Amino acid sequence: MSFTRMMDGNEAAAYGAMLSRAEVVPAYPITPQTELISRIATLISEGKMKAEYIKVEGEHTAMAAACGASAAGARVFTATASQGMAHMEEALWMPPGMRLPIVMCMVNRAMAPLGGLRPDHNDSLMQRDNGWIQLYCENSQEVLDTVIMAYKIAEDKDIYLPVAPCYDGYFVSATAMPTTIPDQAEVDEFLPPYKHEMYSLLPWDYRRPARSTNAAKSRYEVQQAHDRAKDVIEEVDKEYGTRFGRSYDGLLEEYACDDVDAVLMTMGSMTGTVRDKIDEMQAEDNRIGLIKLRGFRPFPSEELRELAKKYQAIAVVDRNNSYGSAGGGVVSMEVARALYTLDDKPLLLNFHVGLSGSDVTMRQVGYMAEKTLEAVSKGKVDEVVDWVELHDLGEVL
Amino acid sequence: MTENLFDEYYEKSLMQGGTTCCPGCGGPLFWRMALQALGPKTVIYGDGPCAMCAIRNIKLPHFNLHFSFVADASSGMAAAYRAKGIEGLTLVSSAGDGATGDISFGKVSAAAERNENMLQICVDNEAYMNTGIQKSGLTPFGAWTTTTPLGKEALKKEIPLIIAQHNVPYVATVSVAYPRDLVAKIKKAKDIEGFKYIHTVMPCPTGWRFNPAKSVEVVRLGVETWTWPLYEIEGGVLKLNVKPKQKPIEDYLKTQNRFRHMTEDQIKYVQDNINAKRERLLENDGKRVIL
Repeated sequence: MSFTRMMDGNEAAAYGAMLSRAEVVPAYPITPQTELISRIATLISEGKMKAEYIKVEGEHTAMAAACGASAAGARVFTATASQGMAHMEEALWMPPGMRLPIVMCMVNRAMAPLGGLRPDHNDSLMQRDNGWIQLYCENSQEVLDTVIMAYKIAEDKDIYLPVAPCYDGYFVSATAMPTTIPDQAEVDEFLPPYKHEMYSLLPWDYRRPARSTNAAKSRYEVQQAHDRAKDVIEEVDKEYGTRFGRSYDGLLEEYACDDVDAVLMTMGSMTGTVRDKIDEMQAEDNRIGLIKLRGFRPFPSEELRELAKKYQAIAVVDRNNSYGSAGGGVVSMEVARALYTLDDKPLLLNFHVGLSGSDVTMRQVGYMAEKTLEAVSKGKVDEVVDWVELHDLGEVL
Repeated sequence: MTENLFDEYYEKSLMQGGTTCCPGCGGPLFWRMALQALGPKTVIYGDGPCAMCAIRNIKLPHFNLHFSFVADASSGMAAAYRAKGIEGLTLVSSAGDGATGDISFGKVSAAAERNENMLQICVDNEAYMNTGIQKSGLTPFGAWTTTTPLGKEALKKEIPLIIAQHNVPYVATVSVAYPRDLVAKIKKAKDIEGFKYIHTVMPCPTGWRFNPAKSVEVVRLGVETWTWPLYEIEGGVLKLNVKPKQKPIEDYLKTQNRFRHMTEDQIKYVQDNINAKRERLLENDGKRVIL
């Protein structure tokens, strides 16, 4: 029986791993991921979850152990954040190239020294090139559902790539929201037991994928898997919706975009705030909507190009920054490349928010929306990259 | 009859023919003996170090990540086998001296602390040889490498004794010059549950600068001069397996050009260290050495 109760993102992720019947969990604690792995340890010790928990001495080992376990035939779950993700980086390149379908939550937190414990997306975004599929979640329900979907995507024999459900520290990881926990039998029906067609590390049945002597060819195969993943993510999301009554529009979601001139484009927890502000502004006849980017890898370029034709301006809201970049944050640069081939390009704005350690406020969203609509009416963008938190915008609301 | 001999051997051997190792490398020699002791129900994890070149063409499951990954993916493999209820496998995790003693020392220590059910082997050729002879924490005092052109300033880390202090069930040192001792120790380790650590010297003509034909002679001198004592620590109790009449350290040093620049004072310093260590080993032979 499914049931609903208050649950934060970390607990939801733990339940997602349990319902997915993860068999091996090598993990090392780091704020704000700690409650997730300690919840898993509790679920195992209570006998509710049947898994081998390896209490490793660091993230580098956590991902290496995940690779070994995945190749040896076990479904693997782990999680990390921030400095831990950076410490893990050498190992993070292994599963995509080795085609190991590991699922790991990236609980977003800023990098030191200009970070502290606050959430931003720089930690997972710096992993953008290594071949992991990255899906950004807005709340605990989406985290739980995405963990279960992640295994279905990762273990698809046309994909065999690792998947990272990403969610903001604190705003998602530690914020309790009503969350529906699906029935185990229904999850079992949706997600069959793990069996990797390319691997067996048993002496009597030894298989490993043959590696091409041409590394470029092997890399291209990973790229092709990412291309196929765009469809698989959509399909899995639809199937999940049919079975469980919740789906997330695949790689990106348009919210209140009928008859608007411009959109804000967001990732992660701030999306909820933006939804509210958009509702408020549309009630006052402001023609602005919202695109929530869920899949950052693979990046939904084709889909975005289709949508972009409808809008006069797109404002990318980046909860990250890239020092010395070609212009603005990581997501905005991806969007710029995706739209470059359009003949009739919308105006492109870029806002940095949520870097100071505080929440993205209604007032900041209002400011960004107004600036975007102003660009539409002027037909040009005055300030391409705007560090929103450096302006004194007054009260939070 | 003799013409079939090779085919028969090849059929039984767990290694295929051919190797990418340097002439005189101890790797193929070691692994042939080790695999004979381990048998066919073995899975091997490890990558990077020279001695793993020897088993690139092994007839057993072999998983590898990269040089700096030691005892980690094998911990995951052990967990997967447990989760799947697969029993009766021997899991071997292998790494070189630089990986074991330097960059992944914490990983080996943690696997020992968790008492992972695996046989961890350190193939010790006393420097980063695959990258072209650079000093590691296990390079001996005085040895020339490309990063210690004047000879190494510090002593070699005592990794086997450090691992033993983790209270693991079995630690041993071996040498390809003593094959019976080597095979017996690997067989013993195979039957013990938990974390087993075997540290083998790996003669390296390329990095140590000696004639490749002399590999076994050189490492035998290592044992005879007490540079490389052969011992095991089982259940915390030390046992010296070979107690040769001690030869002077010069006999060992002069076989390798990596030591040829050493001064008399430096050689005396090495000899004094060996004497002190030998004395302590003999004192503690048969005694519990873990507090």
